[in-house]
Amino acid sequence: MKYKDYYASLGLARGASDEDIKKAYRRLARKYHPDVSKESDAEEKFKEIAEAYQTLKDPEKRAAYDQLGAHPAGQEFQPPPHWQQQFSDAPFSSEELDLSDLFAHLRGGAAHRSARMSMPGHDYEIGVAITIEQAFHGTQIDLDLNMPEYDEQGRVRRVPRAFKARVPKGATDGQRLRLPGKGGKGLHGGRDGDLYLNISLRPHALYRASGHDLYLDLPLAPWEAVLGTSLEVPTPGGTVRLKVPPGTQAGRHLRLPQRGLPKPKEGQGDLYAIVQIAVPSVVAEPERELYRKLSDGSNFDPRAHFAVEAGHAH
Amino acid sequence: MHIESTEMLWFEQHVLSLPELSELSGVPQPLLEELLDCGAIAPLEPDAGTGPRVRAGADLRFGAQALRAARTARRLRADFEFDVQALAVALSLLDRVAELEAQLRELRAQQPQRVR
Repeated sequence: MKYKDYYASLGLARGASDEDIKKAYRRLARKYHPDVSKESDAEEKFKEIAEAYQTLKDPEKRAAYDQLGAHPAGQEFQPPPHWQQQFSDAPFSSEELDLSDLFAHLRGGAAHRSARMSMPGHDYEIGVAITIEQAFHGTQIDLDLNMPEYDEQGRVRRVPRAFKARVPKGATDGQRLRLPGKGGKGLHGGRDGDLYLNISLRPHALYRASGHDLYLDLPLAPWEAVLGTSLEVPTPGGTVRLKVPPGTQAGRHLRLPQRGLPKPKEGQGDLYAIVQIAVPSVVAEPERELYRKLSDGSNFDPRAHFAVEAGHAH
Repeated sequence: MHIESTEMLWFEQHVLSLPELSELSGVPQPLLEELLDCGAIAPLEPDAGTGPRVRAGADLRFGAQALRAARTARRLRADFEFDVQALAVALSLLDRVAELEAQLRELRAQQPQRVR
């Protein structure tokens, strides 16, 4: 089993007072709690902090932890034989264990299991990032989890569990799926926990998602915007033809109904092509001459409103 | 290793009774009732909320929003020792944050990226 330095997790020295432990936990929890924090590694960090606090706040668990001695974090170690007799009711095999399982299991701890009380299994919540194409077609994901399980004697061990889960089409950013009964096993008749998947969409080179709607930048040449055109636009469901009406302004949203992401039950979001007027950065002489002719021949004033609005202000 | 395949449920498709909400969220029913009373967790049909039977929660149905809020409440209570009042305030603030983030996501999606 790997040693974890619970004091270091809370940024404390080994002799820290109970008050210091509480203060350190409160400060770090406020910073890293996944419901509150925007830090990228908040989830992992908070797990570490909470695990350290669960053990150090309980005088009995803290005494047991201190007896394990100080080791470098991550180093393999074995609890001394007398440690188990002194602190734990149930035997365990320590290779398959995480240090946290050991402390969840201690005599006198909150999770004392010898009373044969029925206990519901743990719920697990994990993030799953999928692509827009996967959200469009539905996808199969493989999950490998490592969960503590208790047998009827209350013995704990780590069990690797693999899931093949089908994410049906209809997923989008921020949506959740529940896999009933796929969390931790319940104990003594308690119900099995659930597994929750939080779906997020990976950034895409072309599309941006909002709910089930997709947005796509559509660059047009100036003459295409003025004269109108018919062109091919990529969508997750395949290329579609889009008519650009004459006189299309930059920033306009051309709506392609039902070409966005499918919704869970029925229906489908829309795809919006956002018009941009693109100009060539380099033009050769014959082409430049055409622009000059256009400039001389046109009486179009794109800033006519400047004069009007500025006049109003005075 | 044995590979389990699973049935999946969209969060949005859940319709739960109060006891089911309590079981799935891990929040004890009396606390859920307090959160309901102060409006921190809302049932699916809020206008049905009159009369003694409904007050006892027998008729109330809850959806994804309530399950999400209740699960958050369980975490906040366990990790910060929040009381009902603090939970209610935290939940409404988190709701607003989620709403603003959704708006921001929408605005960002509409923002052209390929400006030359």
